Amino acid sequence: MRFAFVLLMTLIGLNGQEVWWSMQPLERPEVPSGAEKVIVDRFIRAKQKQLGLTSSGAAEKRVLARRLAFDLWGMPLSPKRMDTFVQDERPEAYRELVDELLASPRYGERWARHWLDVVHFGETHGYDKDQPRNHAWPYRDYVIRAFNEDKPYAEFVREQIAGDRLLPHRRDGIEATGFLAAGPWDLIGHAEVPESKIDGKVARHLDRDDMVTAVMTTFCSFTVQCAQCHDHKADPVTMKDYYSLQSIFAALDRSDREYDLDPAVVDKRANLVAQISAKQSKLTKVRADIDVAKTPELKKLEKLVTGSEDKRSDRYGYHSQVSAQQDTVKWVQVDLGSSLPLGKVEIFTADEYGFPDFGFPHRFRVEISDDEEFVTKSILADQTEADFSRPGAGPIVIKGQGKKARFVRIVATKLWSRRHKGGPLSNDWIFALSEVKVISNGKSLIPKKVEALDSIQAMPRWGRANLIDGKTGTGVLKIDPKEKERYDHLLQKHAGSLLKKEKQFADEVKELERKVSALPKPKRVYVAKVHHGNGNFMGRGHVNGKPREIRILNRGDVTSPLDVVGPAPVPGIVEGVNSFDLPANHLEGDRRVALANWVVHPKNKLTWRSIVNRVWQQHFGVGLVETANDFGRIGEKPINPELLDWLAVEFRDGGGSLKKLHRMILLSETYRQKSSGRPENASVDGSNRFLWRQNRRRLEAEVVRDTVLMVAGKMNLKMGGPSFQDFIIEKPQHSPHYQYHKADPDDPATHRRAIYRFLVRSQPQPFMDALDCADPSLLVDKRSETTTSLQALAMLNNRFILRMAEHVAVDLKGKDDPVGELIARSLGRPVRPEERGLLEGYASSHGMAALVRLVFNMSEFSYVD
Amino acid sequence: MTNRRDFLWQSGGGLGGIALSSLLGGEAQGGGFLQEAHHRPKAKRVIQLFMAGAASHLDLFDYKPELVKRHGEKSDFGEHVEAFQNGLGPWKKPVWDFAPHGACGKLLGETVSPLGEVVNDMAFIHNMTGKTGVHSQATYLQATGFDRPGFPGMGSWVSYGLGSLNDNLPTFVVLPDHRGYASNGPKNWASAFLPTVHQGTIIRPGTSEPITHLFPHESAKYLTPQAEKDAGSLLGKLNRKYAEQRSGDSRLEARIQSYELAARMQLAAPEALDLSGEPDYIKSMYGLSSDGKKWPKEINWKEEADAFGRKCLSARRLLERGVKFVQIWSGNDNGFPRRNWDSHEDIEREHGPLSRGMAIGTAALIKDLKQRGMLEDTVILWTTEFGRMPSTQGSKGRDHNPHVFTNWLAGGGVRGGVTHGESDEWGYKPADRKNPTQVYDIHATILHLLGIDHEKLVFRKDSIDRRLTDVHGKVIQEILA
Repeated sequence: MRFAFVLLMTLIGLNGQEVWWSMQPLERPEVPSGAEKVIVDRFIRAKQKQLGLTSSGAAEKRVLARRLAFDLWGMPLSPKRMDTFVQDERPEAYRELVDELLASPRYGERWARHWLDVVHFGETHGYDKDQPRNHAWPYRDYVIRAFNEDKPYAEFVREQIAGDRLLPHRRDGIEATGFLAAGPWDLIGHAEVPESKIDGKVARHLDRDDMVTAVMTTFCSFTVQCAQCHDHKADPVTMKDYYSLQSIFAALDRSDREYDLDPAVVDKRANLVAQISAKQSKLTKVRADIDVAKTPELKKLEKLVTGSEDKRSDRYGYHSQVSAQQDTVKWVQVDLGSSLPLGKVEIFTADEYGFPDFGFPHRFRVEISDDEEFVTKSILADQTEADFSRPGAGPIVIKGQGKKARFVRIVATKLWSRRHKGGPLSNDWIFALSEVKVISNGKSLIPKKVEALDSIQAMPRWGRANLIDGKTGTGVLKIDPKEKERYDHLLQKHAGSLLKKEKQFADEVKELERKVSALPKPKRVYVAKVHHGNGNFMGRGHVNGKPREIRILNRGDVTSPLDVVGPAPVPGIVEGVNSFDLPANHLEGDRRVALANWVVHPKNKLTWRSIVNRVWQQHFGVGLVETANDFGRIGEKPINPELLDWLAVEFRDGGGSLKKLHRMILLSETYRQKSSGRPENASVDGSNRFLWRQNRRRLEAEVVRDTVLMVAGKMNLKMGGPSFQDFIIEKPQHSPHYQYHKADPDDPATHRRAIYRFLVRSQPQPFMDALDCADPSLLVDKRSETTTSLQALAMLNNRFILRMAEHVAVDLKGKDDPVGELIARSLGRPVRPEERGLLEGYASSHGMAALVRLVFNMSEFSYVD
Repeated sequence: MTNRRDFLWQSGGGLGGIALSSLLGGEAQGGGFLQEAHHRPKAKRVIQLFMAGAASHLDLFDYKPELVKRHGEKSDFGEHVEAFQNGLGPWKKPVWDFAPHGACGKLLGETVSPLGEVVNDMAFIHNMTGKTGVHSQATYLQATGFDRPGFPGMGSWVSYGLGSLNDNLPTFVVLPDHRGYASNGPKNWASAFLPTVHQGTIIRPGTSEPITHLFPHESAKYLTPQAEKDAGSLLGKLNRKYAEQRSGDSRLEARIQSYELAARMQLAAPEALDLSGEPDYIKSMYGLSSDGKKWPKEINWKEEADAFGRKCLSARRLLERGVKFVQIWSGNDNGFPRRNWDSHEDIEREHGPLSRGMAIGTAALIKDLKQRGMLEDTVILWTTEFGRMPSTQGSKGRDHNPHVFTNWLAGGGVRGGVTHGESDEWGYKPADRKNPTQVYDIHATILHLLGIDHEKLVFRKDSIDRRLTDVHGKVIQEILA
């Protein structure tokens, strides 16, 4: 994996003659003298003066307020608020509006979207199957909260890199680490291929690369990933530096983490878990002691009364793959060969690990169908609402209700924890059965074929075919009562006191587990963490979170490892900090804490410049540095380096308050300028890099959607929680089909701000995609802005637009001036006399809904002066 | 502006916004990134046929007599083999007999024998090698040149490089399998960091909405044809006024044109996709069965031929009307029952109908293009994400083989009837392991045929001048005409 590079003219400076701007220490520049009250303006004017540019005058109040509302809220002001502002002639009216908008929760929702673009936040894994991540959203809510609370930037950064270690029992600490897991993840490369295989190694290498790239790009605007296959050709990063960064994340994988919101519960749970673990060790010890105490005779008897492995082999059946979550849905189905009247369905449980009903689900239903895919089906039994009492040796008999079917499917909706009798609950959730028989016309039938969502094929014990091998596994073992009596006697004799202890410990464990299950259900968030897995996807839990060994890979090839590297920062970015002084026995999280501290170090040359530039970009459409993700030599130079540094220093030394930073910018005359005017400047600076006017901006996909909902009066401003889905999922078992066109645009659950939309990686939402929404697999510093015919068609014909136009029409019915109201809501201004006739004429010929749709398609609707 | 140039973009990448004027200046070449071709092109159009799930080279195109001889014997690769699942059973001979076809005498599996008629136009490459046996990464690699998300598909690069031949239709069209997407879904043809205009546009021939958003949803009863017509002119008027008051902002003018183009596309697309006017002999050549036929539930070759043939025929019509790049997919995700080429369980069960259907449609397409004089400037690429193992999985299936697989090319500038690059005696790895053919070489060759030097078609993204071929790729001279 090598990348193509371009060597620029600026490379001449690599030999030390010129220090690239972003590698110069961050120091407070001298503020230019001038009459301007706002410092930002002085820097801007000073540059303009040098070039002979004159700035444009202040924008009209209405234009300014519309701009400000979209910038800070991503939504228009209500016509009423707009009018009050326009009529309010006090000089402080604007400042008050800025404060009011910044104080609203709408602000956090708007700015979180910018952040989520940069960190490539998505809610499916991407790659093959593209399975949903149903617990990614708490990270999104964390970001919204952080913006609304004006969390100091250094804390915001530190929590996202190492919150679990810094604030292990606090909501923010846990949820913030969703950042590290925000990007795509190759499920198959992790779950179906072990780490020992080349494909597994590649998947895990790509995974760490994604984390390193996300951290360094997001916070430092630095492209270290270029040094994956050879030393960076332009910037001071070697392969060793790159792989040292990888080793910081070498213990991590991505999966759900459970956590509690209530600190009291956190403590209680931690306490109980510690007690259980301590008791478990005692239990293990006493069981070992019991084993030691067994005489040879006792051991021989034990085999007879409990049955040896080989005797029991025909007692097994179907066994699903292991799931990490109890609520994963699994199914197995049998094919009778033809559609037959169903007398009874008999389900036999498996006998294993001391359980007569091993793997039998707590909740399930039995479905029948004539069609292999169960597109049409009926339900024979439904035990999905409440737990089914343990069936023991079974069988479970389901009446056929006189129905006819060819296929019988057993769907498990709450899985069983795989464990040995007496052992603690494990996180290996499974579904297993011994046999399924069908009684038809009074005859017991063995079905012809078995299909399952998934299964473990571990013959001869477990395999789909065993489900219909005619061996039910019950009543096979005959125990001689005399032998059993002798066994019990001897066991008491040799290990009586130990057995008492064993029972005592086991009871105590049970009691503690009962207490744990009585605690409020923990929340769950998808994060990067030390994963305690099984099968192919082991993670590093089994070695107590010991990081994987990281080696430099020759040309980025996992089959060509070179030297081992340890965690270290990129040298030269923070003066004096070119290594992490970690003790030999440090925990993996300490590596991330060290990195986080390095990122937010006051002397970090990149971090502070990076964030102020990102904020500037959102207020002007383009950053002071045009390449917001790349401050390296292949990126652009800042157009006003002094201003960038002044903002960065002010921001850093002022506590890292983003709201203060917004004010510094928004109160400037530069921000408040008109977006057109002074054509004479165009010959000097046609692209307006020196901001002699404001830039006209196009609304992003989310803003268009939110505005339409606001105009229609349909917006539900409920904050947070699981994302709404504006699609129907079909075939969820394997590769979900995300069917956007089948969703109902009138579903009120979807009438929320677009930040709460469920983000599918493989199949983008067609309307949002046409409007250039961010690809959640890319670190997007700046939305692309295209104008295409497919976009025009989307704005004209998308069902959501068409339906909302009808809602607006209904809402306007009976108003004194429906067209005036429509224009005020949609464009933030009164209807103009010269357009009134045209608009009203169209409405009277074709109806108000058709007019609303037309207004949604006006350029003025999508652009902000 | 009298110019028909209608798409405008501002680059999100390091090139800095591409000015409208430079786009318009590129009109002669259809507004692509390249001002002019790097050399004289042999072809103008591309059709990419993608067999999702990994089609078996051994059963279709790459005949291995050793497997016939050793069929059923314990497989021995002479080295440690990492199978994706557990497909290291006995050697397995091809499911179908092979027979020579055409003047070139190329051996083809009986199931793809319809291709025999056009085999003299095809150039086979039997030493393709990939990087991984994971479907997702491998599909990305063949589709975009990179094994992870975030990179543009080949069609996007071609659109970016050459621009459009007909602005009334998209430049890059994708005809997905009608049953669902392959691994990675639409990300295989996404524009990624290239401007969205270069993204593959999904077309579903024969459905009520062949292009998403082409017409208002039927539920919007309030929109009459007259309302549509009047909306077009009123919107134009309002938007022109808005643009006039903001002179110098070319985006606003481009937006007006985008609406005009949209209206033209509403006329052009249905016409392009309407197969009803095609004569019966053409339809039957493409394997189309009578409309409204109810198919059996089991997978069968006639249904496959009908589905694939419709896509091929639609592709021809789109190419005739100026579409530059058409990608046709055969096979969906790994759902149940299986409808793709990932035959772990039973090669014959899926490969049989899928390959027969593919061969009928493809042979018809090549013949049809030829009789219309279009084959000489249309390149056709047949590909898949990787191959399958020469050993058995279960009793009838084959496991993944990322080490070797087959591609073939045909048409504009391709030397027909040749085979370049051999696999080893088992079809397990390239015969010459040091010199395999990789996707970069295929991509470089196709760009070469289009007049593009693959090292010069670049887009700057996060400090890197990205290419379709990364830092690799060499044009395969041996298969050039």
